[in-house]
Amino acid sequence: MGREVSESCVDSLLTEIVSTYCNGFYANKPELAARRIEAIGYQVGHQLSERYTMERPRFSDHLEAIKFICKDFWSELFKKQIDNLKTNHRGTFVLQDNRFRWLARMSVDPSSENSSSPQDPSTMAENKAAQAVGMHLYFPCGIIRGALSNLGIPCAVSADISNLPACDRNNITKRNFDPCLVAPLTAHCELS
Amino acid sequence: MIVCVAVVGHQSFTEADDALKLHHIVHCSLDVVDERVNNPKKSGPLNESFLGLLCPPENYKVYGYLTNTKVKFILVTTDLDVRDADMRNFFRRFHSAYVDAVSNPFHVPAKKITSRTFAERVSTIVKSLG
Amino acid sequence: MAPVAPRSGDAIFASVERVNAELFTLTYGAIVRQLLTDLEEVEEVNKQLDQMGYNIGIRLIDEFLAKSNVSRCVDFKETAEVIAKVGFKMFLGVTASVTNWDADGMSCSLILEDNPLVDFVELPDTCQGLYYCNILSGVIRGALEMVSMKTEVTWVRDMLRGDDAFELQVKLLKQVSEEYPYKDDEYSEV
Repeated sequence: MGREVSESCVDSLLTEIVSTYCNGFYANKPELAARRIEAIGYQVGHQLSERYTMERPRFSDHLEAIKFICKDFWSELFKKQIDNLKTNHRGTFVLQDNRFRWLARMSVDPSSENSSSPQDPSTMAENKAAQAVGMHLYFPCGIIRGALSNLGIPCAVSADISNLPACDRNNITKRNFDPCLVAPLTAHCELS
Repeated sequence: MIVCVAVVGHQSFTEADDALKLHHIVHCSLDVVDERVNNPKKSGPLNESFLGLLCPPENYKVYGYLTNTKVKFILVTTDLDVRDADMRNFFRRFHSAYVDAVSNPFHVPAKKITSRTFAERVSTIVKSLG
Repeated sequence: MAPVAPRSGDAIFASVERVNAELFTLTYGAIVRQLLTDLEEVEEVNKQLDQMGYNIGIRLIDEFLAKSNVSRCVDFKETAEVIAKVGFKMFLGVTASVTNWDADGMSCSLILEDNPLVDFVELPDTCQGLYYCNILSGVIRGALEMVSMKTEVTWVRDMLRGDDAFELQVKLLKQVSEEYPYKDDEYSEV
């Protein structure tokens, strides 16, 4: 078994990437923030695919490579495989992880987004929270795109979280060490 | 003696004694790699990374290796009496050095590998084969 | 009595959720590279990494205190030992050592010989002023601030710059007493 670090280290970095780019540099330009976060993920995916394919035979087709991402690659990152892989046979693959760890431990903390504008605070908080969740998806999307493109499969990857389960506030404040949110992730890979 | 090791793909790294002539040999052998890979009968059923001897021996023997990420490693040796096992071992270690080099956050894909550590590791691996 | 601070973080590290260090190492590297692209100035990147570390430190301290059973009322000497032996181990899986205490016990060095942040990393010539691991100094500063210790954390040695180890100097500037900042009697009904 190779070197390991605490999961909190990775979670902390992800939280900081999103807050640095979304609240700091590009507070009013979410598309630019998204692009930077995706680029960070892309580099990581590109490098990881190089490392994780080292000991295995070459893939004979795209499907085999995508299955590798769903199984071995995902397991290295999340200790579990993608739960469901679907394709429309026209170049789009849909990967679904029913218990995506990075959203499970993500910090959505509306109280820290102290907006001074007098709009309806609950809608504001909801929008902010939704946007924050959305921003967290660009990193894993970048990883998948980086990995696939390095395996010779250029593609566009987008993701959504279907049915983000409601989670009560008391649990969220304790989230630091107790994952309470278990969110499904759906990633769409469109081969170009 | 190993006279040339080349990485060809998104980026190029060549360590060679007689650059021009070897460049030509490497270039020709790349075609052989493509031909093998695109023809499953020749690449064998296992899709192994190690492609074995690429060119018929004249003054040199040329060996090839292809990673899952479509990067080709080419080795040219003047030693006409090499064993496949040694070559496999060489490429496995070379591949590992390559993967670490491209894991450097400052390495830019498609650009030449500038890592000093990589150059040192390659030189150690080359020397260990004599 | 508060429980005695653990002497090592081995047991805690074994019990926390762990992940493949490569993911962490490469993610951090990609962040540094992206910051260099966006901020251009190496000095600005140093500052940003420190700030990110600080933000992480002020959050991680809760997890650290909860899992390590360390009481809050330790002196600076003990605090440094706990960071080195328990803190580093619990999060990064490596142990640091504490040396170079000054005469009045206000400043010391944390020495790290094995550092997962820098696996595979080679600084290009254009980034010579970069403190690649600056996030670490921010984490320590942030975490200590949450237990009322104002510190200044600076790099003394850096393996990426050719030194034989990583050395962080931690200087205690001010130890704020742990009083509640607002006294009740300062407020009156309105």
